[in-house]
Order: sequence, then structure tokens, then C-alpha cells
Amino acid sequence: MVKYALQRTALMLFTLFIITLMCFVLIRMLPLAPLPIGDPHTAVIEARREALGYNKPYLVQFGIFLRDVFTKWDWGICDSAKYYGKDVAQLFTSKLPASMIVNLYSIIFSIPIGIALGIFAALKKNTWIDHTISTLVMVCISVPSFVYAFLIQYILCFKLNLFPLVMKGGTDWFSWPMFVSMMPAVLSLAFGTIAGFTRTTRAELTEVLTSEFMLLARTKGLTKRQATVRHAMKNCMVVVLPSIFGSFIGILSGSLIIEKIFSIPGVGELYLYSINALDYPLFILLTVFYTAIGLAAGIVVDVSYGFIDPRIRMGSKK
Amino acid sequence: MTKRIASIVALLLVVCMVLPMASCGKVKVEEFVGEYTYNDSVVTMSSNWNPHTYQTTDESYPIDFLTSGLYTFIYNDELNPVEGKDPYKGYVIRPEMAAEMPVDVTEKIKAEHPEFNIPESATSGYAYVIKLNKDATWQNGVKINADTYVYSMKALLDPKMDNYRATDYFDGSFAIANAKNYYHQGTIAYTENMLQNKYAFADLKKGADGVYTDANGNPMGIAVNFALQEWLSGNTLKDYVDAYGAQYFNLEKWDALLALADANGIAPLTDESYGYLVSVISTTAWGETADDAFNYFAEGYAYADNYDFANVGIMKTGEYEITIVLGKALAGFNLLYNLSGNWIVYEELYEAGKTKVGDTDAWTNNYNSSVETTMSYGPYKLVEYQQDKSMKFVKNENWFGYTDGKHIYTDPSDGKTYPMYQTTAINCQVVAEADTRKLMFLQGQLMGYGLQTDDYAEYRDSEYCYVTPSETIFFFIFNGYLDAIQKREAADTFDKSKLDLETLTLVSFRKAVAVTYDKEALCTAVSPARSGGYGLIGTNYIYDPESGAQYRDTDQAKKALCEFYSVDVSKYASLDEAVDSITGYDPVAAKELYKKAFDEALAAGYITDNDKDGKSDQAIEIIYASSASSAFITKTLDYLNEKMAEVVAGTPFEGKIKFVESAPLGNEWSNEIKAGNADTVLGGWSGSALDPFGLTDLYTNPSYQYDAKWFNASTVDLTLDVNVAKIGEAKNVQTITMNLKQWSDALNGATVEVNGTEYCFGDGIADVDTRLNILAAIETKVLMTYDYIPMLQDGSMALLSQQVYYVVEEYNPIMGRGGIRYMKYNYDDTAWAAYVAENNNELKY
Repeated sequence: MVKYALQRTALMLFTLFIITLMCFVLIRMLPLAPLPIGDPHTAVIEARREALGYNKPYLVQFGIFLRDVFTKWDWGICDSAKYYGKDVAQLFTSKLPASMIVNLYSIIFSIPIGIALGIFAALKKNTWIDHTISTLVMVCISVPSFVYAFLIQYILCFKLNLFPLVMKGGTDWFSWPMFVSMMPAVLSLAFGTIAGFTRTTRAELTEVLTSEFMLLARTKGLTKRQATVRHAMKNCMVVVLPSIFGSFIGILSGSLIIEKIFSIPGVGELYLYSINALDYPLFILLTVFYTAIGLAAGIVVDVSYGFIDPRIRMGSKK
Repeated sequence: MTKRIASIVALLLVVCMVLPMASCGKVKVEEFVGEYTYNDSVVTMSSNWNPHTYQTTDESYPIDFLTSGLYTFIYNDELNPVEGKDPYKGYVIRPEMAAEMPVDVTEKIKAEHPEFNIPESATSGYAYVIKLNKDATWQNGVKINADTYVYSMKALLDPKMDNYRATDYFDGSFAIANAKNYYHQGTIAYTENMLQNKYAFADLKKGADGVYTDANGNPMGIAVNFALQEWLSGNTLKDYVDAYGAQYFNLEKWDALLALADANGIAPLTDESYGYLVSVISTTAWGETADDAFNYFAEGYAYADNYDFANVGIMKTGEYEITIVLGKALAGFNLLYNLSGNWIVYEELYEAGKTKVGDTDAWTNNYNSSVETTMSYGPYKLVEYQQDKSMKFVKNENWFGYTDGKHIYTDPSDGKTYPMYQTTAINCQVVAEADTRKLMFLQGQLMGYGLQTDDYAEYRDSEYCYVTPSETIFFFIFNGYLDAIQKREAADTFDKSKLDLETLTLVSFRKAVAVTYDKEALCTAVSPARSGGYGLIGTNYIYDPESGAQYRDTDQAKKALCEFYSVDVSKYASLDEAVDSITGYDPVAAKELYKKAFDEALAAGYITDNDKDGKSDQAIEIIYASSASSAFITKTLDYLNEKMAEVVAGTPFEGKIKFVESAPLGNEWSNEIKAGNADTVLGGWSGSALDPFGLTDLYTNPSYQYDAKWFNASTVDLTLDVNVAKIGEAKNVQTITMNLKQWSDALNGATVEVNGTEYCFGDGIADVDTRLNILAAIETKVLMTYDYIPMLQDGSMALLSQQVYYVVEEYNPIMGRGGIRYMKYNYDDTAWAAYVAENNNELKY
């Protein structure tokens, strides 16, 4: 397993390098953001571009980029108006906690509810309960999260005054007032996640419950509850748990619209902003980061199968 | 004993009578108890508010709280008879960071400091001593003295820092002597040849290095990527080449020319670069030859290197006294207005914030970009800042204004005197979604809410709704370019038997359109925050900054409107009544004018009436130049077509006139209008609210005119009886005939020669009444071309929280509604929370 994990990690790093190189070269091939004539920022930005080797061959530029990242952890400076002069790495890391915590709460909130509903629906398969849950799951998956956001904001925050309309300011991420102020965003994000877990759990559990070994377990004398908890649930979790791991990786990405509605100072808008504002240093950092996260998530999910179900031995050449 | 008691009683009575009399001179100032937090929101929060570099309104937002100007505007108590509790009407300027008003020392400085080159003939307006407020400190208590001002100006003008705000102190009317030389030292600065000496190529001399120079030895360049105001309306040659490429230009040598351009977008003028330029522009499509090349020249000025800051016109002349020397004379309101800002920075933080960019010559500064790097000297200080989330200010306890006894005012609503700045803290947070802002406002969490389109119907009549006008007047620009229209009609795709455009050029037709629409009704239908626009110059423009008097309130401006809208003033009790009667809508007159236009168009052969039914055979499709489709344009065009159909009913154009949206034109919409390829658009200009006179240039200068191709202001004469005497001289009224361009130039300070006599009616030269007469006459003359039909006065609407009220409700372009200084609270924070809770957290507006 260790050898497999190391192999996958090496492959991941190689893939990350290739993707980064491709993105870097493609981005540098694009026309640069036009600089306003006579604006002093122009001179500074041009000087920075000169220092970053913008007039040199692409591979030399890439070398300068790698050198700066590995020797100085210097990912560049924002050139666009809104974040002019800000260190892109600092900007990103300063905005990451808000997105992460909102997503984290959302998943923590969604997992028990989603799995419980999925189990309940599977156990009550083809009854009105199952139909109701399945219908709600379809609705929750189909309707975009910002629709819930508006409804939650209007009903829970404005009409019922249960939560603040926007997230509280400050960096006391784990204080009670901050937790309460995050709830509307957490709930908005949770609907989709709950529906996802419910659907996965229901589908897996339904399949397991109809398996022959479950019939054997019952014929051995186990009660339905014992058979379900001891055998069906374990098998069902082989699929459900990796999806939970995968979801945790997703907490690093923000939601553009949810963050905008609830004034969350997160990373959700950064990617779109970097593209619209032609802020290439910011774009490269985000691309590398999310590519790395995506690749790492794949490894974590794959490796987790082995831990969850010892029967699975990936990459074994026995 | 009785006598003694009587004496004591008498003495007490005297004391009781004298004491109040003695205290008469001292105003009783009310005190505020409690916390008053101003909760504000922004869509985007700035990440930097350095006074030397700020550019956007987001960046200047914190500066308003953190700084104080040398001089400041306050409402004028003397114009406010509190007895009648009338609102304030005027304002005055008084010292703030300065201790006294500036003292003119031009004669003295001229004699002692020849390095400032004050003209020999000048006796005033060039040098001022400003005594500084000794109580002024930074938020940490460190004194602000003359050294602070001199250091900060040096830092602002530091060429290596290349600060954006540096030009404020030498490029405008407020120009510190030699500041430009210090800022540009060791560089060559270019100006457009067409704006300067207009050298032809043959006028230039080739230097030893191959670069051509002008008669003064200044280097000449080619403006490759340098904005040309005169020749390319503020665009660059590169803009055009990028936009049109081979369609208009010969690109064979373009890259070579572009490669020669420096960071300013200028290529040195050599035989080689000249050849490239001629090659690029000499095409039939672009319509230029080598003879036109000089239009792309830029004249360089080489600034001396290592320029000594001692030669810059700011000097420490005392521990708390500075002397400012100007390169151009400036006095009165304009001087004080320019000193109502400030440039000082806290040296320790400023120096610590400097960072060199790599191995280059560029520098940046992180001054005023966080709590740690911010140092206030204004009424509030920054205590919290979270990027893209929030910032919080609290009272700066070291600000002199809280204890100097001068920052008080009388509230017209109760006649009592209060200290300014009742607000104890300012909380500003980013709320990007308008819907969220609205809900927060209704829950009492924000002080204001700018109305969105969907809100107007519900809130526009609320007592808490305030309209804030802005400078821009939106007018219909009407195509009168007959040549272009005839070319369009000659196209194969244009069916002349069914369509006509030439009628658009008839004044009678345009005049008819001008009285087809009720301006206020149009606003209500398409843009309720705006109001009807009637003249070329909006209601916000102040012609006399000293008094705040507005142009549209003058008799001259009112008469101009009456003339344009054919209102017979004699039928009304007063000029005001006559102006108030104008709506822009006169269907009877409009129908007659459409009939007249029909007859004229028929006679000119623009249209036909082959079936003799008394109606035009052709329809007129007026192409509206749309930059991009929007709900506003759709709504506007629907409204225009609906009302047009109503008015032309029963006329020869019944069912024949229609506004049609063009394909999306992007930024090209103005060029399409100017070229006569589109027929109308809602366009507008805005200028400085304190200078309505400067607007005339926009309608008479071909560089700015939308109608330059069919209206030449240099060929339209205007005869006026004007007082040609300068201010202070005896009145001398003469009848003068000049063309519109000359009148406009003379009005804006240029000396214009007519029949051997020179005239100038600029600010400070001609009396205000004369200038107003000229301005109104130019406005009328331009309006009567019907190239511009005013429609909308721009503005916005916002709700104000019930927690606060404005001491002055009427908007003033200088004072606004008093800002945070005069903001009064109906509730403190605790009472407000209770009030909101009583209303179930949902307030009604």
C-alpha cells in the first residue's frame, strides 16, 4: 500500500508539473492586460514584468517562476486594480479560512443527515417515505444552491431573524457568533451535499440489502437490524466513505455566489476575478493550487478504498 | 439689619442679571451621550488608501475619515436665520489644519527668490504664507508641523515613487512652482504636437543622433501608443491599428514602428521611424498621406537631471508656518478649494513602506494599506480592517477639532447648537448583493440603501427617499450629417421606396421630436431616479463658487430655456412660472411641425407621396446606437415608439416613425454617431460642477463635438451686447459679433482677436453677469441646432435610515447634505436596537 501511495504521489507530482507548465505557457502566450497610459502603476507593473522575464523565452520565464516559488515562496504580485500590489500567496491564504470553515461546517452538517436519510429511504424502499425522500433529493440536487441561499436569507434571516443576514467580520473563526453568522451559508451549501450523500447511501444500501449474503445472514438467525448494521452498512460504506473524503477536499474551494450573497470574504470569487481582470500571477497560483488539490483528492480516495475494505488491494502484483 | 438684607438682595439681583449677560457671547453647546455607530456598506473595498496614490472612489473612502484639509467647507450660519429655522443655504471656507487664511506674499517672494520665476508684472496670487494649526497631531499624539508638510510634498513629488496624485500639484490650476521640474527630473515629457506648436516635418532639425528636434532643441517623437487629444480624440494610434488592422492601415512596417516606442508610447522621430509612420497611415481607407504625419508628432521637453527640491515652491518659514509659491497665479475660492485636501504622510511609516521592485527602478509603498500602516490625523482613526470584508473607524481622540470649540453648528430643526461629528464609530462592510443590502437596511443594519430599478415604485415617494442629482444631462444626439445619410441611402440594401433618413436632417422634424416627449414622464417610465433634462447644462452647476449660486437659477439660463421651448414669457406672471410650465411635451405644436417637415421633405425630394393620400410613402427608421443591448435601452425605445405613435397620429408621418436599436456597437457607438452611421443615442457630458462655462467647449470644439461633421461652430456667428470692461474697470457695453467657437474660447480664458480687437471673458477677467450672458447665448444657439435634445438629468435615489436625519435636506454640489460631520441621530445604538426590535426587525419606509 505504501509503495502504491508513493507511486501515485510521484505520478501526481509529475502530472502537476506538466499541467502547471502547460497552463503557465498558455497564459504567458495570451496578450498581457493593457496598462493605462500615464498611470504610475503602469511603470511598476512593467518593471515587475521585466523582472519576471516576460520578454524572455517561455521556458526561461517558467524557470524564473519555479525559482521564485521554490527559493522565496514568491508567487508574484497582483497587477490588477482591486488587489494592486498584494502578494498573491498572502492574498489567497488570507481568504482561504473563511471558505474552508463554511464548507467544513456544511459537510459536517450534511454527512449524518445525508447518510441517515439514505439509510431510512433504503430500508423503506418503495414506500411513500422512500418516494418522498427520493423526490426531495431530486429537488435538492436540481435546484442551484443560490436559490436556497436567497430563500434562507429571506425566511430564516430576515423574516424569522434567526441568523444574521451576512457573515460576521473578523477572524475569530471558531467563536459562537461567527458560527451562528455562518449558518445561513452552511445551510445553503448543505442542501446539495445532503442530497448527494442520501442518494449514494440509498443506492448502495439498497443494492447490498438485496444481496444473497444478506439472505444468508437472515437465515443464520440475525435480526434485520443486526444484519443491516453488521453486514449491509459495512459494505455500503465502501462507496460512501471515499465520497466523504472527496467532499472534504472540496472544502478548499469557495462558492462564488454563496460567498457574495452572505458577504463571506472567501476565495470563491478569486478565480473568476483573476480571469476577468487578466491577473495572471493570481490565476497561476489558483490553477496550481486547485490542480494539486484535485490530484491529491484522487489519491486519497483511491488509497482510502484499501483501508476501508481490506479485500481491495490496488496495484498489487502478487 | 433690614438695610443690610436689602443690600444683599440687591447685590444678588445685580449678579443674577449680570451673569447671563456676561455669558451671552458664549454659545451653549449641547452634548451627546451614548454611542452612535454609522453602519455603511460598499460593493468593493479598497486595499489601499495612500493619499499619494489613490485613484478610485473606493480608495478615497477611508481618506475622508482619516485626514483633514488645510481649509474646509462648512455651512454658513450667517445665511441661516435660525429664528425662522430655515435650512442652510450657503457655505463658507475656514481654516482647519491651517491656523489662518493664507496671506499673499507675492511681492516679497518675488524679490527674495528669483528661482521661482514669478513674473515681474505680478503683484499677487503667486506666493502665500500659511500658518499651521499648532494643535494638529497624528493619532499617536505626535505634532504635525511645517517639516511634515515639506517632507510629505517631497515624498509626493519623488520621481522614483511615481505617485499618481503628484500631478494634482503641478498640472492643474494649482501648480506649485517647479514641482513639475522636480517630478520629471532626468526624463523627457511629451505633449501632443497639435496642442503645442504644430510643427510640420520640414520645420524640424535633425540632431547628431538622428533624432529630430524643434526650434528650441526639444526632441520630437511619434505618438505610437500615446493618447492624442486633438487628433484622435484621446485615443492612440495603436488603439486604431488594433481595432481596424489591415482594414484601414498598412501593417507592413507597424511592428517595426511599435518596437521603437518607449514606455510612454513614443518612438523617437528619426528618418527611419518617420518612414514607418508614413507607410502605416498612407492608405486610401485611412485617408492620410505624408502631409498628415505631423499630426502624430509629440513634442518632448527634456527635464534637467538631479533637480534640487529647494527650488520647489514649498518652504518651511517657521516651526508652524509654510510658504507655498505657485507657478501660475491663483487666488480666492480656487486657491482655498485646492487646499481643502492634504498631502501629508507619517514619515516613519511611509519610509518603512517603500519597496523596490526587483532589480528595476520601480518602487511601491504599502503606506495606508492596513491598520498597522495607517496613521490618521482626521476625526476618525482606523481600528479594524479585513480585506474584502470590513473596516471600522472610531473617533480619533487626538483630533484637535473635538476640543477647539470651532466644530459646532446650529441645527435648523431646533435652533440648538451641537458639536459636529455625533457619529462615534463607522462600520463599513462589503455587501455586494443589492438584495442583501436592502434586507439589512430594512432590519436597521445600514444607514442608507441606494434604490434599484425594482424599488422605485415602492419607495420613490417615501419621506426617507432622497434624490441626488449629478452633473450629467443626457440628450438625444440627432444625426444631421446629410452626406453620410445619403451614402447610407445609396446602398443596395436600402429601399428608398419604403424608407427615408434624409428627413432627419430637417430642423422642423427635429424640432417636432423635441416637443414630442414629456421629460418627466419619460424618467418615470424608464429611469425613475433621474429627472427631466431641459437644457444642455444641468441643475448641479455652480457659476459662483463663492456664493454657491447655480447657473440654472439665473435669469439668463431661464430665458435660454424659454427661447428653446418657444415659451412666451409675457403670458406668465413671472419668468419662473414660464420656466416651470416647460415639460418638453407639446403635442399640438409637434403635429404642426411634423406636417411642416413633411412638406419640406416632399419639396426636397426626400420622401414621396405617390398615392396622394397626404402621407409619406416612406417610413423613417431612426437607428439608435446601442453599445450593448440592455433592459434600459429596450424599455426606452419601447416608450419612445409608443409616445411617438400617439403624437404623429393624424399627421403625414402616422405610423411611419420608429426608433430601432442598432447591432451592439461596443465602444464604437460614439464614432458611429459622429460618422453619421447611426442616427441617435442618449449621450451626455459631465464636467466640473464649479465650471459650467467650460462645457461650451464640448459643443463648439470639433475634438469633442458629436456633430462636428455637420455643425461647424467656427462658421456660426453670434452677436451679443456685452460689457467688455475688465473687473474693476468702468462698464463698457459693446455689440460684438464672433463665431461660436470664438465666444467659447474667449469665455474660457483665451484671448480672441476680432477685427483687430482682442477680447477675453475668462474667469477673473470679465464680470460674472457678462459671462452668464455669453454662456446662456451659446447654450441657446447650440440648442437651436436641434442636434442635441435634452432628455434626462442624471441622478440617484437612496433611502436614509430612520436612525438619522440630514441637518440640511437640500442637496448642494459642494456640501452634499453635510456628510458625516452634520449627520444627526434620532436614536443612539441602544435605543435604535430597541426600536428595531419593537418593529419586529422589519422597518417600514
